[in-house]
Parts: sequence; structure tokens; C-alpha cells
Amino acid sequence: MTNGWIDIKNTDMMLIMGANPAENHPCGFKWPIEAKLKRNAKMIVVDPRFTRTAATADLFLQIRAGTDIAFLGGLINYAIQNDRIAKDYLVHFTNAAFIVKEGFKLPEDGLFSGFDGQSSYEKETWNYEGAGAGRSKTPPESDHQPSAAGGVMGSATGGGHQAAGGPGAAGQGGTKPPPTMPENVAYDLTLQHERSVFQLLKKQFSRYTPDMVERITGVPREQFIKAADLFTSVRKGGDTKKAATIIYAVGWTQHTTGTQIIRTAAILQLLLGNVGRAGGGVNALRGHCNIQGATDMGGVFDIFPGYLKIPAPADTDLATFLKRTTPTPSKPGEWDSYNYWSNTPKFMVSFMKALYGDAAQKENDWAYHYLPKIDRKYSWTEMWDFMYQGKVKGLFAFGMNGVAIGPNSRKNIEALKKADWLVVCELYPEETSEFWNAPGTTPEEKSRINTTVYRLPGAGFAEKDGTFVNSARWLQWKYVALPPPGQAKVDQEILARIFLKVRELYRAEGGKFPDPIVNISWPYVTPASPSFTELAKEINGRALADLTDEQLAPGQTIKAGQQLPGFAWLRDDGTTACGNWLYSGSWTEAGSQAMRRGTDDPSGLGIYPNWGWSWPANRRVMYNRASCDVTGRPWDQERSQIWWNEKEQKWVGNDVPDFKADSNPADHMGPFIMNAEGVGRIFAPLAAFADGPFPEHYEPMESPIANPLHPQQSNNPIAQVYKSDADRLGSVEQGYDVICTTYRLTEHYHYWTKNNPMNVQLVPEPFIEVPAQLADELGITGGEKLKITSARGVYVAKAMVTRRIKPMMIDGKKMYQIGIPIHWGYRGIKEDQKKTGLTPANQLSPAAIDPNAFTPEYKGFLVKIEKA
Amino acid sequence: MNQPTMQIQEISAHPGPVPGEGTQRAVEVCKYIDVTTCIGCKACEVACVEWNDLTFRETSFDNTYQTMPSTEWNYWNLIKFVEHERDGNLMWLMRKDQCMHCADPGCLRACPADGAIIKYQNGIVDFQQDNCIGCGYCISGCPFDIPKFNPKTKKVFKCTLCSDRVGQGLEPACIKACPTGCLQFGTKEEMVQIAHSRAYQLKHQSGLANAGVYDPPSIGGTHVIYVLHDITNPELYSGLPANPVIPPSYTVWKWLAKPTGLVMAALGVLAVFFHRLTVGPKLPEGEEKRE
Amino acid sequence: MSSSIEQYDEAARARVRRGELLRHSLYTRLLHWTVAISFILSLLSGFAIYSPWLYRWLTPLFGGGPMTRFLHPWFSLVFTIAFGFQFFNWLALMRWTSADRRWLRRLRAYVMNREARELPETGFFNGGQKLYFWLIVISTIIFLITGFPLWFDDVVPSWLVAVSYILHDLAALLMLAGLIIHIYEGTAAQPGTFHSMVDGTVTPDWARTHHPAWYSEVTGREEKKVE
Repeated sequence: MTNGWIDIKNTDMMLIMGANPAENHPCGFKWPIEAKLKRNAKMIVVDPRFTRTAATADLFLQIRAGTDIAFLGGLINYAIQNDRIAKDYLVHFTNAAFIVKEGFKLPEDGLFSGFDGQSSYEKETWNYEGAGAGRSKTPPESDHQPSAAGGVMGSATGGGHQAAGGPGAAGQGGTKPPPTMPENVAYDLTLQHERSVFQLLKKQFSRYTPDMVERITGVPREQFIKAADLFTSVRKGGDTKKAATIIYAVGWTQHTTGTQIIRTAAILQLLLGNVGRAGGGVNALRGHCNIQGATDMGGVFDIFPGYLKIPAPADTDLATFLKRTTPTPSKPGEWDSYNYWSNTPKFMVSFMKALYGDAAQKENDWAYHYLPKIDRKYSWTEMWDFMYQGKVKGLFAFGMNGVAIGPNSRKNIEALKKADWLVVCELYPEETSEFWNAPGTTPEEKSRINTTVYRLPGAGFAEKDGTFVNSARWLQWKYVALPPPGQAKVDQEILARIFLKVRELYRAEGGKFPDPIVNISWPYVTPASPSFTELAKEINGRALADLTDEQLAPGQTIKAGQQLPGFAWLRDDGTTACGNWLYSGSWTEAGSQAMRRGTDDPSGLGIYPNWGWSWPANRRVMYNRASCDVTGRPWDQERSQIWWNEKEQKWVGNDVPDFKADSNPADHMGPFIMNAEGVGRIFAPLAAFADGPFPEHYEPMESPIANPLHPQQSNNPIAQVYKSDADRLGSVEQGYDVICTTYRLTEHYHYWTKNNPMNVQLVPEPFIEVPAQLADELGITGGEKLKITSARGVYVAKAMVTRRIKPMMIDGKKMYQIGIPIHWGYRGIKEDQKKTGLTPANQLSPAAIDPNAFTPEYKGFLVKIEKA
Repeated sequence: MNQPTMQIQEISAHPGPVPGEGTQRAVEVCKYIDVTTCIGCKACEVACVEWNDLTFRETSFDNTYQTMPSTEWNYWNLIKFVEHERDGNLMWLMRKDQCMHCADPGCLRACPADGAIIKYQNGIVDFQQDNCIGCGYCISGCPFDIPKFNPKTKKVFKCTLCSDRVGQGLEPACIKACPTGCLQFGTKEEMVQIAHSRAYQLKHQSGLANAGVYDPPSIGGTHVIYVLHDITNPELYSGLPANPVIPPSYTVWKWLAKPTGLVMAALGVLAVFFHRLTVGPKLPEGEEKRE
Repeated sequence: MSSSIEQYDEAARARVRRGELLRHSLYTRLLHWTVAISFILSLLSGFAIYSPWLYRWLTPLFGGGPMTRFLHPWFSLVFTIAFGFQFFNWLALMRWTSADRRWLRRLRAYVMNREARELPETGFFNGGQKLYFWLIVISTIIFLITGFPLWFDDVVPSWLVAVSYILHDLAALLMLAGLIIHIYEGTAAQPGTFHSMVDGTVTPDWARTHHPAWYSEVTGREEKKVE
């Protein structure tokens, strides 16, 4: 979330889409309700089904799964056409005025410029146009002529970390250095230049007319216009006070266009000037705890903690790596850019000091060579595909029921059969550790499985202390409620004991490259079970030598060994160690900030500055500089977060300024300090996204229609699919003519609560939600069994016949959507009683992958439906 | 269980005065349920089962999100789900069903067992299973179909409004668990006020002209009140009665005809007694005694 | 069955040999007391539940409220079955005749004990006894029909319980009224009657006084008219 859960209460308008917070985030949903009750805020819910969230909405629209970009693009078009935009915000806080390089082409035919004809883009033209180097600070209004874009200057010095590309991008490179963003960007504050980002945006989404939205999404034109009018009404008549928020979750991410859906929302919010403001923002509702923390701590294959990039093989030494991954400012010459990622070397060196302690020295590049270099993608689905190919021989599955969470579970089960070993750390016997017991496995087949399965008894969340990081980026300490039962152990003990054994082996036997293992810093009091307080302190970081900083804190000295007050103190000279720069400040000399439980909220905005701790630097709303106009005055005085104090010459306020505290508004420093441009990206240059600098609607990989925008290029051209015999895609021609989406219920938690009698009582059995009209056509009533077939598998469950899903007219054809909650499998209370028992619902879903975030397309694939 | 911290106002089938009645100041409590912001998450159901340590029931799929068809002796709190379509607009109504804690409780009126049902001065109607004789009259006396019979123990159970918690100054468990705040607990006065301002808001801000507060006067009001989208049609919400009444058999009959019947019976006994004293017995007449 | 039971009624036969008349066979007496006892138990247990004013008085007799509630339907069931036998046992004797109509017209005189004897045509049962019998028949049917919904009130609609509840009570009040008169008539008001239901026999005088026609029938002696 750019904002936070509580901040939603400050909103005037909510668009909840790709999320079902009433069911999946019921506790957080109190804040949307609060906004309705206290501010008369309006709530628009867009979903393939009428959900429990929709039940409380002011307006509900049923959308075809996987067409969110078309809907949001329609909103962008509506906002531009009806002048419901925040002009000042747009000009000064976004890159709307930036001029894009000549040669960039919009995807009228489904492809941006630079497509290689296969599966990737040459991103040279996805860039800004450079302006002359030494441009004066004359008012740019006077020279918005195309000439402003004249001097494409070779500011090759301004390397952007956007040049980094995806993992492996640099690896393939070698010969030609990747393109970089210009240091001085040509721009046009009138937004009239035909290659200005704004004009390109306008052109790009002018195709997303209400009629086109209706054809693609199935939302009737009038309903769409009603929603568009309502949502953009916050900028009606030039109003700048109101704020609208967009709330989403995995309903957006789980598509082959997932990242670009969120991009579209971000663009819309920038267009309306809603980012960085109380009651605004683009707010991802993270799933279960502790998913936000896992992401922050590098629980993804291509990042280290704090979203630091993982080196590629071409990054032969630290300097090369840092040069590639540390961005330099790229902006109009007159503007300022904080470019906070310029501190990357400090974060990186401190991280390596935390990892390797004294073994990391300047002489050995801070042990840079110990770090793994990533030569290709190792995403989740990739891993299973490799196992299926017999290349991955073993798997540690901790707190992850891999078979059930799929996609394409059948393939995952087959993959595990080919593995040599499998280690599962869980609370209950579950589908992954019993993959050999999946329904349909014959005794003969079982006898041929040679995978050795090790089951480790893990501890449940109530049996562990530590922090959870919520969607609002708050670290909150939690305490142990009960000791783990029986032989169960907390995760860190299990992992530590495995690590110590492995290290022992390396010490004894050497091996190819033992250094990264034997030299790792392991300073814990009980090496076999490090405590979370020790780890949390290590993550915060400490001084390794006495530190002073006259600019930051005159007269203050941080003594060697002391906890760091925040990431501003991090150094790249080896005098600081920090496990995750983003969390620096969470455990200071004053103790754990995550344990704070102060309930004071002086501003009444729900900031609660003394409750827990929010990264970065306890800021509750990110980019909050954008809550003020160019001169530093809040857009809405009643929701003042921060403001410029002319007398003190600094930014002050109710929240911690997410900004350079002494940057005078006159210097025009952009509020989006994590971007090299300093402004919000409507156009995302270079390698920011694999599939285009602007979002474009592409059909799901399994779609009932050809993309009405460009039938010849229906799908995302660079969405990833696998080529194994288990990875089949179905089509309408093959009889897969019903759109299927998967989701979770409020009554269950993933595949876990089927072991809890209370939850089982609430919803005892799996079911399939079917529109009443479709049920009539099939001649079935509620409770009868249905057989759902996709190109990958079969799923049988009882039908829930409902009017909450309606038939839709998609591009003139009547179509049905059905929905399957995913919570069941072949182990659980009812399953063990043989009262229900199924292969996981995910054996229907395809392993088709979003090229940016590598999320599978669980939502919106094609199935066949029959009476079972 | 009788909560010694709360004064009793009414006792079922209890002749004579209620001990302690009127000796203590007591405010009426009330549970506020805003149906328009209920999300049917069932946290209240779980909290109820957990707090009261109720046993689990075997449930089965019934083409609905509703946990079971109705409240049960070991399931006192149930959200009832209704899909309702009006002018092409779908509404998914979720109403938390539980004891309404009527000001004039039909169960208490119907109950023949002294002390099996009590009503506290704060309005909570509580069953005292120790005194319950399992006759089940309360079930038919209730206009909301709330009390449920446990065939095994032959006792009737229902929501206690967490009298054990309220007696200790806590809110009921369901209120505590509610994530959206659609459930609130406080004095009746306060809750009625909140309810009416919410209804006003719905009327004037959400275009629900028929929004209103359900606090049926036909049973003297309830200590559980609803804010409904459409107060003119409460039946929509899974059969919430528009005009709930206690069966007359439990009002007119019980409190008028029954005592009358008893008096008549007593008079009958007196009459024969009087007859014996005045008229005397009819003795068999011997032939020798014939006139 | 009745005849085989009678072999145990030696005491009554002895009294008959001494000149008394056999009025109620052992079978009849057994039925009567089964009916009587089960009805009294039903009545007491029922009245415990019937009224708050009786609840605390009567429930201890049956081991407390829940036990009272548990036993009541079973007492009633015994009553109903026993009375069922009695019904068939007495059905023939309970046929309404013109004599009964006459008896009813003279009820006032009967109550005020103005006549030393019943009307000469008064047979085995007089009109009042027959009325009481039919009252019991009707009440029992009502009890039975309304009793089941009350017994299993957790499974029937509540309106049915509410209606049953009233009818059940009404029947009980009717029965109670009859019972008061019945007991009075059978004991204090008519010496010798209780003896007949306990020992089975009556004196010829008793028979002549209360049931002249029956007296004539069993003795063969014509009773002279009083007037």
C-alpha cells in the first residue's frame, strides 16, 4: 500500500477491484466502512462475482475476469475526455510533461516498438528524449516548442537503474551497454507536444471508449459511464480537495497482465492526483501474514532484502554491479530529483557486512563474490517446471503447500514424483507431503515413486514471536501465545540446525566453494536457535565504528556496536551493517519500535505515529510530499499530512515527510523520490516493465474472444507459458467455453483451515459458483455435482447456483463465468472422513505467467462444464 | 447462569414479587446491528461458539453461504444470507440472527417453570437451564424462532447476550469480534440514537428511502436492534417479522384464563363441601325405612 | 381377559353370597383405578406445569420440574390406554336413553337431594354418570390430539403448539370440574358407592336407592313406585 489500512477512512471515493476485502481482509474492511459512515464516501466494486464486498457497495459492476486494463483504461480515457484530471499535479508531480523519444510506437496493433518477433522487446525507444545538457532555468512554459525536444543530447552519463532489466538482461548483454535514461529530459509543461507523455497517454487510451469497454469487459456502456462519472467526480469542476483510493489484491496480480493492471491504476491515480495523499493511493491488500514482510525481506528470487537487486553473472565485481543498479537522476534540468536509490551502494555494502561480518572487507569487495549471481529466472513456476523436467532434484517446502497452491497442480504432483527428495515443514499433513497419495494415483504408480519425503513439524503463527508486516507496511511485534506442541520447532531453529550441519560438512569436506557458507556471520547466542530479537536487531543494523554526521545530526555520535537510528546513517565504507535498509529504524537504541503500542493520533488522520513502526522511516503515507501543491501547501487543509514551513525552512507535519526535509518547494524536487525522475511515472521508461511503458489490454492466455483492440495480437506477446506436455492451453473451439476464476472464502484460510473444525463447520465442502441461467441450461439445481474440465485437469464439486453471477455479453456473444473457491484438497477433517475429497482446484489453472512479477493466471481461464 | 452482578426484573412462572426488582439502578443495554454494513464474515458466529465453548455441528452444503438453516441449541448466532433482486439490482442481505432480547419476551411468558427464564433489569433475557423442564413452550412463545431444544439434555438454549460478559462490564463476544463495527453495544438509548442517525444517513446519502430501524413496538421493543435498507419489508431479511407478536395463548390465556380456571376449580371444591354440609349425603334407603 | 381375572374376586363372591349385589367386576375396578390413578398423576403433574402458582407445590411430588415434565406424558399415555379399555368395557352401558333425558330434567331435585330415590327407570348408570363418561371420552381425545404437539413441541410449528396449549388446558379444566363432582358423589355424597368401586358389591338398599331399574334387573324384583 502507498497509504495504509486506517488511512482509507480519509477517502471520499473507493474503487475496489481485483479485491474482495470484505471476505479476504474483513478486519481491514472496517476502514472502507468507516469512510462510508463518517465521510459518506462512495464505494464502487468491480468484480466477476457479486461478492460480500459488493454487498456493501454503492455501485457494483460485473466484469469479465482478466479485462481490468480495459476497464481502467476506459476510466483514464473518461477522465481525460471530461477534464476530470488534476492538472497541476499532473504537470509537476508526474512525467506527463516529459517528451518521449522519437521512434516510440503505441501498440495500436498490439505491439509496442521494438518487438523482437519472439518473446521480448528491444527497449531502446522506450525512453525520454534528452534535452541539452546545460539548459538554463528559464520558465519552461515559454519554450514548449518542439525545439525543446531538439537536442537529443548524449547524456549517456545518466545511467538509470531501469537499465538493469530483468535478471539475465545484463547477462545477455555483454557486447552493447544497455540504454540509459537521459540526464536532462526534454519536456513541455503545456502537455501539448505530440510526443509528451500526456499526449501519448491520451492517444493510447482514446481507443478505450465506453463501447470498447463494453465489448471487452462485458460491463454495459451506461453502467460503465455511471461508474466512471462517479469515480472521477472527485475532480469535478477542478476540485483538488477530494481524494479517491484504489484498492486491489490478487484479483489483479494473478493475470498475465497483472503488473500492468496495477500500472493502469497507478496512472489513473496520478492523473487524478490521488497518490501521496490521505485517502488516496494505490493500495495493495497483501494476502496472508507475513507476505509483505516476506517480500520486503527478499522472499523473491530476483531481489535481496530491501528490494536490492541480485547480481547477474555480468556484474563481475561490486563496482560493475553498483554502477548497473544505482540510478542517476533523469529529469528536466530545472527540476530537482532526490533519487533516493542513489544510496544503493550504502545499502548494499551494509547488507553484505550484515551477511558476512568481518569476512566482508574492502579488500575482498565486501565479500561480493560470495553472493549468488542469477543467470536466469528462478520464479516459482519455473522451479516446478525444472523439477518436472527432472533438473531440480529436491525441494524444501516451508509453510507452502506447493501442490495445492498450483497452478496446474497435476504437473506439480508429477514433478514431485521425479524429485529425489522433498522436505516439508508444516503443521498438518497436507497435499504436498502426500503428493504420492493424490486421488487417482494407482498402487502400481505409487510403487514407482522414489522421492524421499521428510516431514518436519513446524510451529504455528501463535507459537512464534517476531514481527508481522501488514499491508500498510507496519512492522508489529507479536508474542508467543503457546509453545509449539510435541516435537514441533520454530522455523529459525529448524533452519539454523540444517544450516549448522551444512556448514559442518563444508568445513569438513571443503567442496567447490565453501567460503560463502563457512564465512557467514552467525553471531547468535544460541547458534542452533537464533532468537527473533537478535535477528530483528541485525536487520535494523548497527554501527561498526563510531559514526558522526554533521549534516544529519550535528553533535551526535553513534558509538560502535549501537543500533542505528535509521537508514540515513548507512555507509558504504564498511562502518555499518544492516540486514535490510528499509527496516532500519525498526529496532533502535530505544528498543523495538515494532513493539510500540501508542494509541495517540493527534491529527485524527489515523496516522498513529507511535503504534508499531512503518517502513520507510515510520512514514505512514508514502510520497506524502504529493499531498501538497507545488508551493508546499496541502491540497486539502483538513487532511494535512505534511507541509512546507517557510520559517523553519523545512517540511513538517503530522506524518514523517517522505522527502528531503529541507528541500525548498522552489527547487521543484519531485515527490516520488524513489524514481530517478523524481516524479510519478505515467510512462515507465526502458526496462521498468517487460511488456510496455504503457499498459495495454491483452486477453488472458485462455480467452473466449480475440482481443477486440487487435485480434491479430490477442494475448500479452511476452507472457510466459511453458512447453511441457503438462502445460496445455484450451480454446473455445475445443469446447472450453466458460470463463473460470478462482478465489478464497472468508471462512477459510488457504489449505490450512480444512483441518480446523470451526472453519469446517462454517463451510464444510467445496463448491462451484454457477450462474442461475447456466444452471438452468445444464438442468441442474444447487447441490448437484458438476464436472469442470480445463485443458489441464478435471475438478468435481457441488454446484452453488446463484444470481450473484450473471451471464455476460462479451463482444456481442453471451458468455458465462463460474467461480471456484480453492480451499480443499485430499487431506483435512472432511477429506479424512471421506466426506469430501478432491484433487486441488488448481489443477484447472494454467501456469501462464505475468512477465513482470511472474504471477500465474489463476483468474480467468477457460473450462468446460458438465453435470457430473 | 444467573449473573449475581445483574438484578433480575422478571422471572418465568414465578408467583409473587421478583426478589430485588427495582432495588438497583439499571440502564437497558442494547446490541446494534447495522445490516447495511454487515459483510457476513461470520466472525460473530465463531466468537459465539468460541466464547461459549459450544460443540461443533456437522454441517453440509446447502447452496448458500449460510452456515446452517437456522440457529441451533449449540449455535446461537447465525448470519442469514438472502439474495434479493429488485429492479434488476441485486442485493445480498446478511442479517445476523440471534435472540432479540425482547422487552416483553414471549419465551418468558410461555415458560411454565419457575425461574427457567429470567429477564434482567438491563433487558437481557437469559435461560437458566438448571430450572428448565424442557417443555419447549418458550420455542412456540418466541416470535423469532430462537430458543432451540437439545434433545439429549432436554433443555432449551439460546443467545445469552453474553450475560456472563456483560455482568462483568464487557461487551458480548460477537460485538468484540465484529471487524466492521456493524455490531455495537451500549445503552439502549445510545444505540437507538446511533441507529436512527445511520438510517438518516442511508436515506439521505445512499438513496435508500425506506431505510429504518427495526425495534418492533409490538413486543415492547427489543434489546437487539437492526438498521435495515428497507424497514417496510423486514420479511425480506430471512423472515424477520414485521409485527412480531407473542401467541395470544401465552398472554390472554395464561395470565387471565388460567387463574380463572383455578379459581373456578377451588370454588367447585368449596361447592361440594358446602353441598355436603347443607344438603348432606344421599343414604341408601332400606325397605323397612320406606314411607 | 375379564373372565379370567374374575376368578381372583373371591371376596366379592363371598359378599354376594351374603346377599350383596355385584356391581363392578374386578376387571372394571382394576381399569377404574388404573384410570383414576394415572389421571390423578397426569392432573397433578399437568397442573404443576399449568400454573405458576402450583409449580413449586406440585413439582416436588414428581422429583422436580424436569421429571414432572418427563413423566406427565407417560402418565397421560397410561391413562389414555386404560380409559380406552374402560370405554369399550362400558360403552354399552353408556348409551343415552330417554330415561337419561328425564333424569337430566330432574337434575335440580337430584342435586338438592329432594328425592329419596332415583327415578325408577334409572339403570346401571344414571344420566349424570353417562354425561361424565362422555365428557371424559371427549376430553381424552382432545388430550391425545393436543398432547402430542406439546410433547414434541420442538418439531411442530409454534401455532400448533399455541392452539394445542389452550385446548389441552380447557380439556383439563373440564375434566377437573367433572372429577370434583365424581369424587364427591363417589364418596361423601353417596355412602356405599366408594365401597362398590373398591370391593365390587353394593347392598340391595344402595342399588334400589341409586339405580332402581338395575336393581330390578339383577334381582328380578319389581320396585314399587314411590308416589
